[in-house]
Amino acid sequence: MFFRIIPKREIPELVRGLASQFHVIGPVAKDGSFVYAPLSAPAELRLDYDTTLLPAKEWFFPSSETLMRFTVADNVVIDDSVDETKRVLFGLHPCDVNSLLLMDNVFLGDNPDPYYKARRDNTLIVGVSCMPNEHCFCNAWGTDETHWGFDIFLSDIGEDYYASIRSVMGAELVDRYVAGRPITDDDTAAFQRRTAEFKAAFTNDVDTSQLPVLLDAKFDSDIWEKLGEKCLACGACSMVCPTCYCFDVHDVLEADQLTGCRVRTWDSCQFKEFAEVAHGHNFRDTRASRVKYRYYHKQWGYLSKFERVLCVGCGRCTRACKAQINPPRVVRALQTGLVD
Amino acid sequence: MAPRVVVLSLASDFGCQVQLSNMTDEILDVLGVIDLGYWQLASSGHMPTEYDVAIIEGAVTTDEHLELLRDVRQTAAVVIAMGACANTGGIPGLANLVDLDERYTVVYGSGSALKVAPGKRAPMPLDEFIHVDYHVPGCPIDTSEFLRVLSHVLLGMKDRVPNLTMCASCKLNQTVCFFDRGQLCLGLVTRAGCGARCPSLNRPCTGCRGVAPDANLESARTIIVAAGHRADALENGLRIYNTSQEVRG
Repeated sequence: MFFRIIPKREIPELVRGLASQFHVIGPVAKDGSFVYAPLSAPAELRLDYDTTLLPAKEWFFPSSETLMRFTVADNVVIDDSVDETKRVLFGLHPCDVNSLLLMDNVFLGDNPDPYYKARRDNTLIVGVSCMPNEHCFCNAWGTDETHWGFDIFLSDIGEDYYASIRSVMGAELVDRYVAGRPITDDDTAAFQRRTAEFKAAFTNDVDTSQLPVLLDAKFDSDIWEKLGEKCLACGACSMVCPTCYCFDVHDVLEADQLTGCRVRTWDSCQFKEFAEVAHGHNFRDTRASRVKYRYYHKQWGYLSKFERVLCVGCGRCTRACKAQINPPRVVRALQTGLVD
Repeated sequence: MAPRVVVLSLASDFGCQVQLSNMTDEILDVLGVIDLGYWQLASSGHMPTEYDVAIIEGAVTTDEHLELLRDVRQTAAVVIAMGACANTGGIPGLANLVDLDERYTVVYGSGSALKVAPGKRAPMPLDEFIHVDYHVPGCPIDTSEFLRVLSHVLLGMKDRVPNLTMCASCKLNQTVCFFDRGQLCLGLVTRAGCGARCPSLNRPCTGCRGVAPDANLESARTIIVAAGHRADALENGLRIYNTSQEVRG
């Protein structure tokens, strides 16, 4: 990794330069919130955003995507091309950069998903530092920092960004589109001060001590029933989660019934039909069992396979869940035995 | 051979049939895969006596409707309930909120009920009386959902009307939640499948697709009250399209 100082006033130049080569996606304002969307002008980029409604996964694993088109009569695949659009995702916070690494474990493992892989291979990541709000708890999982998974990471040190450059492509683009300057010891000191401020700003205290033990030891705890009583089974938590990767696949025919599309859509373990199988048996018929499954999978099942929990503490589910079921509360319930 | 299809209406405003005529991009393709025997809104002839698929719009509000419905069920291999009126009783179901005779008196004058509506009944959705094979709820129907259902009918696939609530669709649309804007939204308990169209057009869900079987009404009520709305706000809101569920219990 090497470093450059990029004055904030040069960001529009960088964005303009990138836009000459790539589709640039970044956080833009929408109805008082923010969404990742294609930028039509550098001024739309809102690096001061707090969070986005949907996470960055949408740009690699769309909420609905056509896997292939086929003919109905003879079952021939007529189009299964992948999306190789050259993109830059500009402005991801550390939680979202980390979330993509967790998704990679699933989609780029022994049998890489060609659709996900094509988008991932063709997308550059520019991260940007943030300050935590009341819903953030990335510090609980160590996803408040990121040292890989990006091409360029911009850390705010006042008038300038302290830019960490991780890839050759990132270096070339910085050289091409911004003047910048090399870092000095003073800059690194400013970076350290800023990091300390960031770490001190978290207000969400999540005690993750011995979480896997608690999950197993409290498998039959009544906290799950209580959470199940609250859960709306709406799946909003999964939709906004940057690490939820479950999907459903179904075929949709054109109106003429001659050709069809095989479509992949996001699914949720909180939907009642999620674990229903042929003949109608449902392995997770109750809301309580589904909420429990969600936390077991994210905080223990994935951990035991990939050595990380499947959560980056972005707080999106905390905002989305009207029943106030979220990791800080569930972890607290596991620690105290009480659902608050 | 293409299945013969009839489209007919009970008590409704024909809005869903109008939606069918709004399928300008697809209607010719649809007509290529079915044998359209009768379309109440658009046909000048009579309904044939033999047909395979009956698409029925509207609620049952008279004995005559009921007789027709039972007759259609005897004839058709497949019955599709189209729109809110046919699926939940819809707007005609509002008459369930008052005494039925009184309602006719208010509208048509005293003693009018027998004359204007002989055999009148409390408005009810189709599946109160007959088995319905496929459901396309909503006021009016969403044409892409209708096309998907029609495709399932033609392929002999089972009804896949969603049982889940609207919130996930809203998240996918990146619509800011109405509860976060201090407004009541019935999407919390309403059956998904329309793509949360109204919220995406900046209007809270009014529950036209009926209460989702998987909805958690008790928790939703608690959330709505905690958000500062009246204790009966959920029930009141749902009444626009869902009174027959109350009447049926």
